This record gives sequence, C-alpha cells and structure tokens, in this order.
Amino acid sequence: MLSIVFHKRRRLVRRLFFNHEQVRTMSRVKRRTTHPPYWHVLKNNQRQDEKISSDNLRFVREVIQDKYKNKSPIKGSDLDIEKKEWDPKTKRSGVIARNIGVQHMWEKDGKKVVCTVLHVLDNHVIRYVPPEEYAKSIIGAKVFRNRKPLGCLVVGAEAANPDRFTRQYCSLFSEVGLLPKKRLARFIVTPNAVLPPCTPLTAGHFVIGQAVDVYGKTIDYGFQGVVKRWGFKGGPASHGATKFHRRGGTIGTGRDKARVWPGQKMPGHMGSERRFCRGLKIVRINMKYNVIYVKGTVPGPTNSIVQIFDTLLPRRKFTEAPPHPTYFPPEDGTLPQEDIWDSSLHVFGSPSISV
Amino acid sequence: MLRRAVLQTFRQGLAQSFFKRNAVSLSETTVTHQPIETSDEADEKSVSKQKPGDESGNTVVVAPPEFRFMYPEFLPDPAMERRNRLKEKLERIDMLQRRSVVEIPEFYTGSVMAVTVADANSPNKFARFVGICIQRGGSGLRAWFILRNVVDKQGVEILYEMYCPLIQKIEVLRLERRLDESLLYLRDALPEYSTFPLDMEPERRLNNSVVPINPLKVKLRPRPWLERWERQNLQGVEDLNLPQRFYDKAEKVAKPWEKYDLMLQYRKTIPAEEQEKIFADVHSQLQQQEFKRKIRRRRGIDNEQ
Repeated sequence: MLSIVFHKRRRLVRRLFFNHEQVRTMSRVKRRTTHPPYWHVLKNNQRQDEKISSDNLRFVREVIQDKYKNKSPIKGSDLDIEKKEWDPKTKRSGVIARNIGVQHMWEKDGKKVVCTVLHVLDNHVIRYVPPEEYAKSIIGAKVFRNRKPLGCLVVGAEAANPDRFTRQYCSLFSEVGLLPKKRLARFIVTPNAVLPPCTPLTAGHFVIGQAVDVYGKTIDYGFQGVVKRWGFKGGPASHGATKFHRRGGTIGTGRDKARVWPGQKMPGHMGSERRFCRGLKIVRINMKYNVIYVKGTVPGPTNSIVQIFDTLLPRRKFTEAPPHPTYFPPEDGTLPQEDIWDSSLHVFGSPSISV
Repeated sequence: MLRRAVLQTFRQGLAQSFFKRNAVSLSETTVTHQPIETSDEADEKSVSKQKPGDESGNTVVVAPPEFRFMYPEFLPDPAMERRNRLKEKLERIDMLQRRSVVEIPEFYTGSVMAVTVADANSPNKFARFVGICIQRGGSGLRAWFILRNVVDKQGVEILYEMYCPLIQKIEVLRLERRLDESLLYLRDALPEYSTFPLDMEPERRLNNSVVPINPLKVKLRPRPWLERWERQNLQGVEDLNLPQRFYDKAEKVAKPWEKYDLMLQYRKTIPAEEQEKIFADVHSQLQQQEFKRKIRRRRGIDNEQ
C-alpha cells in the first residue's frame, strides 16, 4: 500500500517540473530526410532503355550466376571458438527482418496475446569494422564520445539482381563474393562476438523467451493536423462554433518572450521516424520459414523492414549464454526442431484449455 | 518459351478472373438465392474434381467452389497494404492445427448453434450457450461470430472467437440460411424471433445435401430502432409501414451506383485464382480431418453397442 502512494507522489512531482528546455532544443533537430547521408555510395542504377537482345540478356545472367555461385556458407567449425567466449557484457550481432503482420495467439490460461510476425530475411555479414577504425568515423565518434569504442558489423539482407544497382554499390559486396543486398544495417558488437564475412544469420540466432529490441521507422501519416498529430481537443462541433473545429487555438501568451516559442506544437509531417520498441519477448520461432513471433507490436507498417537485436534493458538481459556468436545448424545433418514455442503459449495442435 | 507460356496463362487468368467477378459476385453483401450444397454432397460430387491445368500433364486438384461460403475465414483480409503470402500461409497452418483438435462445423448466419466454453466462474467449469448466429466476420485466427438468444426476457449476445482454445465444442443445432447476411435487425424485432430453448436438441435434416434458406420475414417492434432499417435493403423483414418521408430520405442518401462499381468490388474480394489456390491447399487437409472424425464417431457408436 505504501509503495503505491509513493509512486503516485513521484509522478505528480515529475509533471510539475516538465523540462521545456529539452523540448525546445530537440525541436531544432532534423528528424527525417529523403536523401541518404553524403558518405553513402550511389545505390540505384539510373534506368536506361537499353535495347539488349534476349541472347545478350541470357549471357549476362549466366555471367552473374558464374560470378556468385561458388560461395559456400560459413559453418560453425570455421570459427576459432577459444577467442569467442560469451560473458554477460557481450553484445551480439542483430538481424534484419520484415514485419509481415500481426497474429493472435493465446496463453495457457486462455488470455489472448497479440504477436507480431517477423520474417528474418537472408542475412549475411558483409564486413567487420574494428573499434579503433569505427571510433574515427562520423557516427562512431558521436556514439563513443565518452566511452570505450566497440566494433561494428555490417549486415546485409535481401539479395537482388546486380543490374539494378550501380557498380560502386556492388563493389561493397564483391570483396565478399555475395550478390548485392537491398538493405544494409550496422550492429554494434563487442570484439568477442565478431563474425567473419559471408556468415548467414537466421531465426535461430535468438532464443525462445528472450527479450529483444526492435528498431523501425513508424507509419508515415504525411502532413497531419494538430488534433491527430499532438492530440489536441480542437473546438466544439456545434453550438455556433465558427470555423473552429480542428484548429490549434492559441500559440502563445503575448507577454513572456513576446514570440512563438520554438517547439510550439503545430500541424506538420507526422510519422516516418526512427523508433525503438524495447524489451519485446520472443514467444515462438519457426526454423523452417525463418520466422519469429514477438509479443507486442513493432514500429512501422506491415511489410516494412525492421532491425532486431538483444535488448539493452538491464533486467532482461541474458543470464545464460545464447547461441554465441550466432546459431549454426548442426553439421551432422540432423534437423533442428521446426517450430519452437514458449512454455506460456498454448500450442494450436494441443487439446482445448479447460480452466 | 516457358516465360511466354506463363505470361499467356497469366493474361488469360486475368481476363477469366475479370469475367468471373462480373458474373458471380464474390462479396458478402449480395444475397444468393440458390441453396448451397453441404460438405457431404460436395465431397461426393467433387472428390475427383480435377483441372487439366499443367503443361507437364499433371492434374491439379481443386476444391469445390462452395468452400468460399463454407470456410470464409480462410480467405485473408483483401486490403492490399496488409497482405503477405507467407504470413497467410503460416496462419492457415495454425488454423488447420486447431481444427484437428476441435470440430468447427460449417455454419451460416441464421443457423442455431450451441457453444461450450471453459469458464472458471461457472459451477461446472464449462458454460454452454445456445443462440442464433446473427453475424460472422474476421479472417484467419481472428474469425468470430455472434450468437443471440433471449434469456429470462433479456436479450443476450455473445461474440465467440472461432479459434480460441477455451472453446470446447461448437455444435450446429439447426443448419440453415436466412435472406440476409447479417441479422442485426433481430435486436429491434419481437423477442420470439430470437428465442431458442437452451436445451435444444440438434435437428436432423431431411435433405442432407442442400442447406435450406429460411424465407422467414421478421416483424419489428415499433420505433425507435437501433439503426435505420429502411435504408438497408433488408429482405428478411416484414413491411416496415413507415411514413413516406423516411423512404424519400433513404432514396436521397442511397448510393445506387455502387452496384456498378467494379473497382469497389475488386478491392473487397480476393481474386478467384488466389481463392482456388488457397482452398486447394486447405481442401485435402480438411477432408482428412473429416474422415478421421467419422471413423472416431463410428468407433464410438460401436463401443456403445
């Protein structure tokens, strides 16, 4: 009883001292761009109407196949395991996935649970950037300004036809000998969780019951008014209200500062912003289709790309070693269990729940 | 060569699907006055129904066309932004798994059903409710239906999720269809039209092959009503006997051009080729489950004897 009262008081105190300065400074930060950063290489080919004969097209396709066919996937035995021992401070790689929708499942007591279905695409490690080098890069310098630098793994997903990309973009993958990927992502890793290039990452990288953080870009609502964007109440629908139904109303006092404060809530672009959903629990993994079911919802619309990695929340981190540095299928040919369920979930093929 | 052949069949398929959609409406809003065949009859007729489809000469098994009325929840939500083939496939697998444990029979709006649910607050730990299905909807594991009954002069409606594991048993006591796809007007009708005895026995149908359409016209209570029934083109309701101004306003507000709107129809339905693929996938598994259940029933009867 005492603890509840204490929490209420703390919440009241927090509301009284709302930090306006933080809101004002963050309002000047640019939250979205339509162009990639200037240090990125030009990615997509300018489509030109080249009239190539069907024979030449076939030849080009054969050349591509020959160039990329001899790469065999990295196995677990290729890594030296002595260097790669897991400890609680290890940061493993993450994975690029597609949010393919939402499915309802039920727990063993009959309670319904909304689960997001994430399809782990064909991820491969492209490159490892060691800590010293990464700390010198523009983003690395910002991230590790006041702490010890960590390494960075570049992971790619969704292989595509090299024809649609520029030569510079394809060269990022040619050292590794992989077909160019549509999506790239960087994951911060400790040096003991480094993976060699061309290592495949699958749904087995994660463990049932673990907590993950999912990064995605939220749904793009476009230019939205103040009622939808900031939750303003607007005005009365009737009772003589003249042209004041969904407007913002007053935007300042006139006395203090005598101007509109920066960060004043107004209509504008809503959505398409980077967000993290922290601490989502993995309740089911399907190894055959490389699909993860995560309890809760993730940022972004259906069929959008998200990044999944082990949670940063301190109380939900691993206590036992996970598949480290990643999961490799057993080399003796035995297939893993196809569909793994969390113990709290009701499996559909099992008998009905009787309370 | 193969590519050209594939493109040709694709174009033909498109044209065919266009005509199919024109000729036979696949949306839920229209009322088909043809009686629908049941699964038994459908089985007898079309177990060997095969399409001379493939180039390789293999015959392709196709589910009977009635499946889209018998199992509408296997079709996904038509909204294109949220569709994903892999997720729909995985959801169908889960649905079939659940169906292997509990028999979810074929039913329509207007059928009288009894549902037994595990309930911690009941004396027997199970709660059984009998009612008439007034509406059904949802797709995949979210599929639901609403049962309505009048208990102690109080109208009661319960929404059941078809794939919820708390459901122990779903029985269809009277399998029939009505003249409308949604019977929400029973809320404004006289209570005798929604009253069904809670200890109702399952009725044996004389003609097992065809699902009958009950041409009952329901009498509504005097106004006020919950909805403007005169604006909804209801077939299963007696003459509303309203002043002419209601019908005039209904005409003003009506959208008679919608029945000519092809794109609206297209966006509300799944194309015929996809439907065929989905039900072909599901057909064989459902048949196997039905077969196993029949054997179990026969064994049960033999054991009793």
